[in-house]
Amino acid sequence: MEKNLYNIYKTFFKIGMLLLGGGYVILPLLQSELVEKRSWITGDEVAEYYALSQSIPGLIAANISIFTGYKLLGISGALAAIGGVITPAFLAIVVLARVLEEIIKYDFVQGIFWGVGIGVLVLIYLAVKEIWHKSVSDQYTFAIFFIVFLLSLCFKISPAWLVISAVLAGIILQVLKDKKLVEDEIEEDDK
Amino acid sequence: MIFLKLFLEFFHIGLFSYGGGYATLPFLYHLVDKYGWYTTAQLTDMIAISSVTPGPLGVNVATFAGYVSAGILGAFIATVSILLPSIIIVVMISKLLEQFKNNRFVKSVIYSIKPAGCGLLAAVGVNMFLNNMSTSGVVLFLALFIVSLKYKRDPLIYLGVSAMVGFVLSFIK
Repeated sequence: MEKNLYNIYKTFFKIGMLLLGGGYVILPLLQSELVEKRSWITGDEVAEYYALSQSIPGLIAANISIFTGYKLLGISGALAAIGGVITPAFLAIVVLARVLEEIIKYDFVQGIFWGVGIGVLVLIYLAVKEIWHKSVSDQYTFAIFFIVFLLSLCFKISPAWLVISAVLAGIILQVLKDKKLVEDEIEEDDK
Repeated sequence: MIFLKLFLEFFHIGLFSYGGGYATLPFLYHLVDKYGWYTTAQLTDMIAISSVTPGPLGVNVATFAGYVSAGILGAFIATVSILLPSIIIVVMISKLLEQFKNNRFVKSVIYSIKPAGCGLLAAVGVNMFLNNMSTSGVVLFLALFIVSLKYKRDPLIYLGVSAMVGFVLSFIK
């Protein structure tokens, strides 16, 4: 299939429709639609974009769609990809939002929402577990996890401040490491 | 000006939420206290709906929150605003891919920000657990929890099973 804007939009629209139950489902979808069926990108590129998408802010499914679209056709490709992926989502929610008041009156709808709410809790637990394995590896990272967890749980503090603090901690850590390296070198020279 | 506020708030969420769709939840709960565009109960419903509709959860909740607070234009603005930081950041990084991957400050910041994202999400999970728990809820959660320890299942299975349990229970009550 030719790599033009319409085809990119259409392909990502299809991926967007199949994207149920959280963003990480996008990985196998990209693999089958873009790597296997269309050979637009390679499996290695998908893996690389996935890793990068997790290391920057924002929704992972959105980030990886933008990376892929940009690789295919520059900025307009990126916009076609993200537009395609969110169109089904946008339409579904706008339609549901209109009828929500009506359908929420039924007990069985409330029952389903209640059940899904519990299911989401399990998925959040699984997500925390997965991110934990990838992020908490020593005392420093455990300290960050624990401090952010406690502050966020106990105070109505904006999450943005906690994220900014973590960014600053990362910069300070690297400055200290650099400084130590320089000092060690000076010591080496003195000897 | 509601549209400007929606733009600023959701742009801010897109810029600072770190760790995928659920990472937007602490920000969305924070908005309940700040503006009252929607209530905690409405947000819980939104999360349930977003989990069973197509698309990334963060986008779904943004569309929903925008719609509830300012109609269809609000929905559009909230959705575009939450994605705008991603578009800017990804395009910038794509241009400087090699430098970005090998920069030691970038590595150090990522190393520090990941556990922070994990801590935020864990706090949301604990809060949701404490806010919405009934006896039957705890039982269902523990049952799914035990299953998740033994088997690695598609996340959709958990939503499907729990939706079905909720559906059946609503007729028994």
